[in-house]
Amino acid sequence: MSDLGVSDVAFALAVGLCLTLGAVFGSVFYFRRFRLARPAVGVFNGRDVAVMLAFVVVMPLLYVALPTWVLPTMLGLVFFGVLSVSAEPVLRQRWPRRGAIATLLAIDIVAYQTNTFTIVNSIVIVLVCVGAANLNVQGGFTLRHAVWFVLGLAAYDLVFITVIPLTQQLFAAAEGYVFAPVAVVRIGDFATAVGMGDILAYALFGLAAYKAYGRVGLRMAVAVVLVFGAIAPPLAPLAIGSLVGHVPQLIPAQVLFAPAAFAAYQVLRRRRGAERRMVSVVSSAVA
Amino acid sequence: MFETGVRQMRVAFATVFGRPIPVRALQRLVADALATLEEFGSPGDDVQHLLDGPYADPGLRVQLQVKALRRTARRMTARSSFYRDRFAASDVDPARLTLDTMRAVPVTARWELDAHGPAMRCGRPFLSTRTSGTTAAPLEVWLSRYEMELWPALVALSMVLRGELGPNDHVQISTNVRATATMQADVELCRLVGAACSVVGLVDPEEGLDRLRGRFGLAPTVLNTYPSYLGALVTAARDRGLGPDDFALHTVNVGGEMMTVALADAARQTLGASRIDDSYGATELMPFGGRSCEQGHLHLDPNLGYAEVLDLSTMEPVEPGELGTLVVTPYFPYRECTPVFRYDTRDLVRLPVAQRTTCELAAIPAVSQILGKANDLVHTADGPVTPRQIAEVLEAIPGVRWPVRFTAHATGGRLRITVPRSCLPPEVNRPGLAETCAARGIDAEVVVAVGDPPGGRPLRADFVLPRLGRQPSVAVS
Repeated sequence: MSDLGVSDVAFALAVGLCLTLGAVFGSVFYFRRFRLARPAVGVFNGRDVAVMLAFVVVMPLLYVALPTWVLPTMLGLVFFGVLSVSAEPVLRQRWPRRGAIATLLAIDIVAYQTNTFTIVNSIVIVLVCVGAANLNVQGGFTLRHAVWFVLGLAAYDLVFITVIPLTQQLFAAAEGYVFAPVAVVRIGDFATAVGMGDILAYALFGLAAYKAYGRVGLRMAVAVVLVFGAIAPPLAPLAIGSLVGHVPQLIPAQVLFAPAAFAAYQVLRRRRGAERRMVSVVSSAVA
Repeated sequence: MFETGVRQMRVAFATVFGRPIPVRALQRLVADALATLEEFGSPGDDVQHLLDGPYADPGLRVQLQVKALRRTARRMTARSSFYRDRFAASDVDPARLTLDTMRAVPVTARWELDAHGPAMRCGRPFLSTRTSGTTAAPLEVWLSRYEMELWPALVALSMVLRGELGPNDHVQISTNVRATATMQADVELCRLVGAACSVVGLVDPEEGLDRLRGRFGLAPTVLNTYPSYLGALVTAARDRGLGPDDFALHTVNVGGEMMTVALADAARQTLGASRIDDSYGATELMPFGGRSCEQGHLHLDPNLGYAEVLDLSTMEPVEPGELGTLVVTPYFPYRECTPVFRYDTRDLVRLPVAQRTTCELAAIPAVSQILGKANDLVHTADGPVTPRQIAEVLEAIPGVRWPVRFTAHATGGRLRITVPRSCLPPEVNRPGLAETCAARGIDAEVVVAVGDPPGGRPLRADFVLPRLGRQPSVAVS
């Protein structure tokens, strides 16, 4: 067994639960309260999932290859864009909205290299994931798309952790940046991290399940996210350590989560039939 | 979503820079619009902006119009010997054309298009289409393959986004066989939208009515036809005691002739169509056209062409409220094969007195409804009387049999209207008709003729095909 203690696992579990459930329930809360503006024509489709996955594959390569100042700049712009669009129905006036978001991101920058940075950055990341999940799901992203997306992420994780160790490099590179796309929580001697991509995957899956099948879908999604997204990854090092005598630094969370998400989708689809469209979600909310 | 954005950008760039519109992208946008409606039940928030187009912005309009006219004129002078000579004779440089200097180029008359059609051609011909021949001998116009693919896609996108046509619709096309372009465009439009389509043509109104009732299968929900044929259908339906419950129609699209208020109301009451869309279009100008609003204006699409209203005698722009002829220049890249510059339609309109209308289409410039053909304008001692003024009175007589035929002349400075007895209810007589006209502000001597009035023009409803049986029409879905 390695130096990973029970306290470390418990800390990782607690942080994982907070981040994943915060992202899922935050997304659903936003979805029930606010409607994002959408373009005159356009629905999210399978090709958009392919485009998203292409970004997921290409962006880390750029992160590692580009000069160090490029990554935080790009991420800052992306965060500002996503938060601006998703905050529009919350705060209608343009300049107060932009001011609030700029202030939040400025706090993240100011807190950099202080003890509070990881907390502030984690909050920013969860907010961005809530906004991004709603942008997609309110744009027609379905549970089927979410499942394909997490399966794609799982394949990516598996390749770039086990075959090409790019994720470790990226993790190491990003951890030192402002706007790091990793929710790192460090309290005292304890530290744990959850990738932004993982949090987004949970938020998308939970929200898409709620849109597709209502509360039944949400219950199923929360159960899957809890077990395979929040609990299994922190426990996996212990299990792997006891089996092979070596504790891996990174756990490909999506490899655990994606098959369970796929199975949950199949169960929901067979039991509940076709997914709801936005038009029926909105009309049932009005009724 | 991402692909849709890219397609919209491609179409928008082509529109703004005057490049040929990417037709496949436009056709796929129709599919995107259908998917949007299926997911959300309605288009997104800025749909009106998309439908109105960039020319609806008054601040940009003049600048865009000048660019579009220069582009169109440059292409014409480069490819058409007729327009090369015409611009040279007018001493107008297409590259420096303005809304003022373009008036130095004489209008293109119908006879010129008839006589010099090949010399006006700027593209590769694909389909020959003809005007109906109700106002003059049928005129042949050649269209390109690009045009025949582009126009239905433009119309389909607009109709889907406005909620006027969907995959659950069944369109009955009851138009003249000469109107090959309109017919092919309608069929292609249905294919793009996924609607069913019956090409019925102008058949005996009794048969047309049977088809509208779904006696040969699926009952149509949309009818595309001419006002006079619609009138014949409404009359036949009333004769048979049919009412709105006997039909599945929700929309009737009419064009090519004047549609009166009374006939539109009768079609709503008898055929059950809640929406009567009276649009303006002409074979010579396609795809340029106009839509009627609830306040009775005709809103001409500024994105597809430049419209002028000119005095009938001086050919100078008219003042608001004055009568004039509609002169139109369809823009490239919408009109490609046989373009026309300042085409004089001889369709009578008035400019609205108010600078800006207050109707649902207020963003789009408006004129009055089409008031008739310039050649049918009657000059009386009290002033000019338009064919629409007379038609509105006659078609509103209770018990009248649509379509009402009439001829109108000035005799000794007074209007003289001749109406066939067959159009009128038995209780209506000459003095009664004259009183009805007077009550509507028209001082006229009325003659009731036993047969059709001499000198009267045919209506489009007169081009009815012989009855050969009751086989179902060709259906595409």
